[in-house]
Amino acid sequence: MATVTAAMSHQSEFEPQAGAVKFTMLLAGLVLLLMMLAGITMRAAQADLISVDPTLFYQLLTVHGAGMVGLAGLTGGAIYWYFCGRYVPLLPGVYWTFLALFLLGVALILGAIFIGDFAAAWTFLFPLPAMSQGVWGPNAAAAFLLGYVSIGVAFLLLHLEVGRKLIAGYGGISGALGWPLAFGRGASEDAPPPTVIAAMATTIFNAIGIVVGAAVLLSSIVNLYVPAFAVDALLAKNMIFFFGHVFINASIYMAVIAVYEIVPEYTGTPWKSSRAFALAWTAVLLFVLAVYPHHLLQDMVMPPWMLVMGQVVSYLSGIPLLAVTAFSLIVYLRKADAMRWDLTAALLVLGVVGWSVGSIPAIIDGVISVNEVMHNTQWVPGHFHTYLLLGEIAMSFGFMMWLVRPTGEAATSGLSWVAYYAYLGGGTGFVLMFLIGGAVSVPRRWAVHLPQWFLQDRLATLFALFAIAGATVFVLRFAAGLGRRAER
Amino acid sequence: MTLQSIVLATSLVLMMLIAAIFISAIRAASRPASAPPSEKSRSALIWGLLAIGVLVSVVSLNPYPHSITADGKLAETVNVTGYQWYWELDRDSVPLDVPVVFNAHAGDVTHGFGVTNAEGRMLFQTQAIPGYINKVEYVFTEPGTYQIVCLEYCGLAHHDMRSEFTVASGT
Repeated sequence: MATVTAAMSHQSEFEPQAGAVKFTMLLAGLVLLLMMLAGITMRAAQADLISVDPTLFYQLLTVHGAGMVGLAGLTGGAIYWYFCGRYVPLLPGVYWTFLALFLLGVALILGAIFIGDFAAAWTFLFPLPAMSQGVWGPNAAAAFLLGYVSIGVAFLLLHLEVGRKLIAGYGGISGALGWPLAFGRGASEDAPPPTVIAAMATTIFNAIGIVVGAAVLLSSIVNLYVPAFAVDALLAKNMIFFFGHVFINASIYMAVIAVYEIVPEYTGTPWKSSRAFALAWTAVLLFVLAVYPHHLLQDMVMPPWMLVMGQVVSYLSGIPLLAVTAFSLIVYLRKADAMRWDLTAALLVLGVVGWSVGSIPAIIDGVISVNEVMHNTQWVPGHFHTYLLLGEIAMSFGFMMWLVRPTGEAATSGLSWVAYYAYLGGGTGFVLMFLIGGAVSVPRRWAVHLPQWFLQDRLATLFALFAIAGATVFVLRFAAGLGRRAER
Repeated sequence: MTLQSIVLATSLVLMMLIAAIFISAIRAASRPASAPPSEKSRSALIWGLLAIGVLVSVVSLNPYPHSITADGKLAETVNVTGYQWYWELDRDSVPLDVPVVFNAHAGDVTHGFGVTNAEGRMLFQTQAIPGYINKVEYVFTEPGTYQIVCLEYCGLAHHDMRSEFTVASGT
């Protein structure tokens, strides 16, 4: 308990750029609600409940995908910055530059989609941005891709600042990754805190992913204006999925830092950097970089060893999550003595549950012979919505509730619990409909569905309403909490 | 039982198992402290997961799922090309009970060549990517009409990119 108390007093005297982070989370909450509305519009259109022109549908698909991935990155990045600031001094100007570049990227992406009619999905699979059959022009495609570049540069700045401070403060990369504890005779007491180890690993893999992403983005931009500058489509696909996979994983791995930092305030036991923890994060670093071929399992021309690696590493990636993060959370919950539950604790724990549960259909889809019948069916949005909607976003909501936590022993209101169960129940039903859709071979990303798929589409729309209602209460509660704190 | 229904059932069982373990821990957290799982349990979990992984990998990768078993000269082949937004096949009927190799090409952007049976169940798929030929082999055991769908987003009429071919004995 002494360590927790020390950490809490440390936190109260040093809340790094709390204002900027709160502003980020408010922005993220509002954008999340808009993106959820785009999502439910698509599901309602597939359910034949409303009529949406396919042109608009695929614009919504593009903005929803890019928006949600960007949002996961933004919330994860804010959590990462906020808690790293407890351990190393960070330059405030870097965060503001990050936010400015991120918003510039958002403006470019929105302009490309809603002014330029760009609709090549968030994956911008080469050469689709350059071949729209006259629907959008090269300028719209370039604006979209430049928007990504701007967001990528924003994250690179964030990682470079955090990375250099962690390296300077914790004895180099190996020290910050906890290697003396993982591979040597280092003691647990001397190891960096979990936040530092997680942040160092994430910094390394996301920086590498962004550099690769920038290379394929810039090549695609040149190709728009100089078609003779052709990029090999398979190489581009490898680079895009490497970048995309690493980025979305980094978002979750940054968000889980909120669990390491906040849950101990409830359980009374600090989250420790054990040998298993340090080893797990080194494994995560390697697995995140090596697993991306599981997105290319239906490209038979890929070297077989790479596809086999994709399947095997996909499975292995589940072990640090289940046996270290999830297992440790269960240990801490069981050690807790009459723990007081509020919305913060419930959402943070839900985040780890959703992430763990969502890893199962993802891992199974990573088996080549399963992937042959499940790839690019609704099974895929089924698993990633599980670990994003009920995982990363739940953790981010937990962090938001903690940022505006009432002082004293104020209980969570009944409305908040209703919102929580609406979000949980609606989210669970929503992702279940996707998984069932995948099992009955409904292709993903179709603007128009066949009548035999309408039942699960309609149920998904209904479940989405509940999830959106819950999310709306969370965002309003956060905004009201900010208002109360401003008054004080 | 189709592969899809086995996958769905297995996933749901494992997902519910994980959720149940968490629910038990969440309930325990509200009560006085109880004995948590030991570090030995963690080691057992890691080694158990590794053992299952080795088993699943060996069984599911042997033989390599993408291997083409048909002899080059004897195989029935179909050249299929995806364009925005239609499929072009060099034959519209294939024989029953023999290996058929589909050579998937792309004429413009990347498409996903997926084949479903009369009930709409996905049988197999491959990507059709510019500059490459992806080969996929399948043995049809039921005569009838089979649908082709596009499984990679390829632009505004992606969902309309459907076609069909027949499977008949003695074709």
